[in-house]
Amino acid sequence: MAICRSKLGVTGTKFHAGLIMSARLASAMILVAVASLSTHAADSALSQLDQQCLACHSAKGLEMKLANGDVLSLQVQGAVFTKTVHNKIGCAVCHAATSFENHPPVKRKIAGSREYSLEMNRVCQSCHAPIFKLYESSIHAALFREGNSYAPVCTDCHSPHAVMAKASYDAASGAPCSKCHDPIFNAYAGSVHGKTGLNCSNCHRAHDVTPATAGDQLKNACLGCHQGALDSHRIWLPNAGRHFDAVSCPACHSPTAKRKVDLRLYDNVAQERVAEREGVPQFETRARLAGAKGAGLDAMALRSLLRGFNIEGTDNRTTLRGRLEVTTGVEAHQLTRSAQAIRDCAKCHQQGADPFQSVTVSIVGSDGRSVRYGAKPEVLNSIVSVDSVGGFYAIGGTRIKLLDWLLALAVLGGIGVPLGHMTVRWLFRRYAKKISGKEDS
Amino acid sequence: MPRIYVHPLPVRIWHWINALGFVAMIITGFQIRYIGLIDLMSFRTAVVLHDWIGFVLIGNFFIWLLFYLFSDKIRVYHPELSPMKHFRASFRQAMYYGYGIFKGEPNPHHVSVYEKFNSMQSMSYQVIMLLLVPLQFWTGVLLWDVKRFSGMIEVLGGVRVVDTAHVLIFIFFSGFIFIHVYLATLGHTRMAHIKAMITGYEEIEEEHGAGK
Repeated sequence: MAICRSKLGVTGTKFHAGLIMSARLASAMILVAVASLSTHAADSALSQLDQQCLACHSAKGLEMKLANGDVLSLQVQGAVFTKTVHNKIGCAVCHAATSFENHPPVKRKIAGSREYSLEMNRVCQSCHAPIFKLYESSIHAALFREGNSYAPVCTDCHSPHAVMAKASYDAASGAPCSKCHDPIFNAYAGSVHGKTGLNCSNCHRAHDVTPATAGDQLKNACLGCHQGALDSHRIWLPNAGRHFDAVSCPACHSPTAKRKVDLRLYDNVAQERVAEREGVPQFETRARLAGAKGAGLDAMALRSLLRGFNIEGTDNRTTLRGRLEVTTGVEAHQLTRSAQAIRDCAKCHQQGADPFQSVTVSIVGSDGRSVRYGAKPEVLNSIVSVDSVGGFYAIGGTRIKLLDWLLALAVLGGIGVPLGHMTVRWLFRRYAKKISGKEDS
Repeated sequence: MPRIYVHPLPVRIWHWINALGFVAMIITGFQIRYIGLIDLMSFRTAVVLHDWIGFVLIGNFFIWLLFYLFSDKIRVYHPELSPMKHFRASFRQAMYYGYGIFKGEPNPHHVSVYEKFNSMQSMSYQVIMLLLVPLQFWTGVLLWDVKRFSGMIEVLGGVRVVDTAHVLIFIFFSGFIFIHVYLATLGHTRMAHIKAMITGYEEIEEEHGAGK
């Protein structure tokens, strides 16, 4: 891309254009311009300066090798760029660091393509500050801050020279999300939502994408469109409100998914999930200490872990709130028509039900995602858990085994005691008659 | 045989609705808790029946409560105000059921208008009617709509704590109902007490106790 400094204002955007052009560069451009007449015809919507840039940068295979060996493509397709939302502001606004004095060739060294993307990210911010603020709150930004080299920055999703209007995104391709989340997109594409042409951002939002397990954002996204969902569930589902709180939508609406229970540490005072302290991760260490060498927390270990979180605060009361959810992101996207959703209560409300065979305990990690630690399924059925897992209970499915024995004892006693009493009365009937007869007389 | 009117109409209405209701609650309760082991009806049907019958029983409870609060019959629950005398009478009654009845001894308790319950009965019925039944109704209502009552449930320690309390009382009633029916057959004839709860009149045995 050729870089210019201009003082021309284009569609309200002020930028500086250098009017001093070297004769050498001008003549070179004229030569290339003549050679690529067809390209210029397609770029007629662009300014003359931009067309001059494209004169070189539309050349196929134009690329440069970066310091780390990455190859940076320098080709810009004029016809595509003409259709982008940035065509009016032209090349120079984003590439202001390049001038005729240093271009071509670029004299400064670029460390690598990632480094170059990050540098250009700052350019995006200068115009799109509010959007960037949203991005900063996203899981993508959190991963980036953690040093994840795959965390997407602006140009990873918005192809630098092909930034299109929102309306022109192709839902069928899933781009740009599918670039990284391909398996999830494939699952989604076959789902009831995938067939209706909805974009990923309709549920997940575009820039402030939060982890699926954080907060109620996704549930609210479901209910945002399916506004009558709670009422329609109330017609047939007892305790519908509770189900909406404790069961994720895909747990029933992705009927083939494997389900599990996530017991979330919850701060009752702050009314939010407990989060790891910045820079002082403690959950996994504590869980490991409590949980017998990583074999998974049993009921006593879970109780001890919870106690550990409660000692710290003076007025904090950390509890566990359970949530029934699907195991993978792929399964979460395989939503079916409501007629195919699980309506059989027995799928969960009986002993040994599949969702209660897999249990995790979790806390919100520093990047907003859940940090999980395995727990044994017995934590859901143990009398020891009455207090510690007080916030989660599914009738039948997570019933306490000790109470089953007590019930059996009560019923056997209720039947056995009268039977025994009757038997003894029958055995002593003659003796009793004799005695009472004597008393009568 | 002389008769005494010991069960006024409101009490009899309350009793039989309560009896049928509790049997239904126990059956649906078993079905809800043990789906897969017991398949009398669907889980949902059991839950809906359990909920509705529960509300009927709560309404019915107030027939009992208001009748006794606003009539002098409340004395039947506590004719003897001395705890020591009450305890001794309860001990005598327990000795009768556990020992004397086999020897053909007479029932130490004699029914009268204000003493229709023996000491053991009046004590246990008070615990049941003033503690266990209201607690069961309360926990039942909380579990009926966990979301609506989430604040109160949180205060009590969570839905599992409330459910455990509900199930413990359910366990008690599941055993108690058999004992209750059996004790009701220990009148001077097997059906004497049961008939009395239908007609209102208890026949008074002139010669000796109810234990034969």
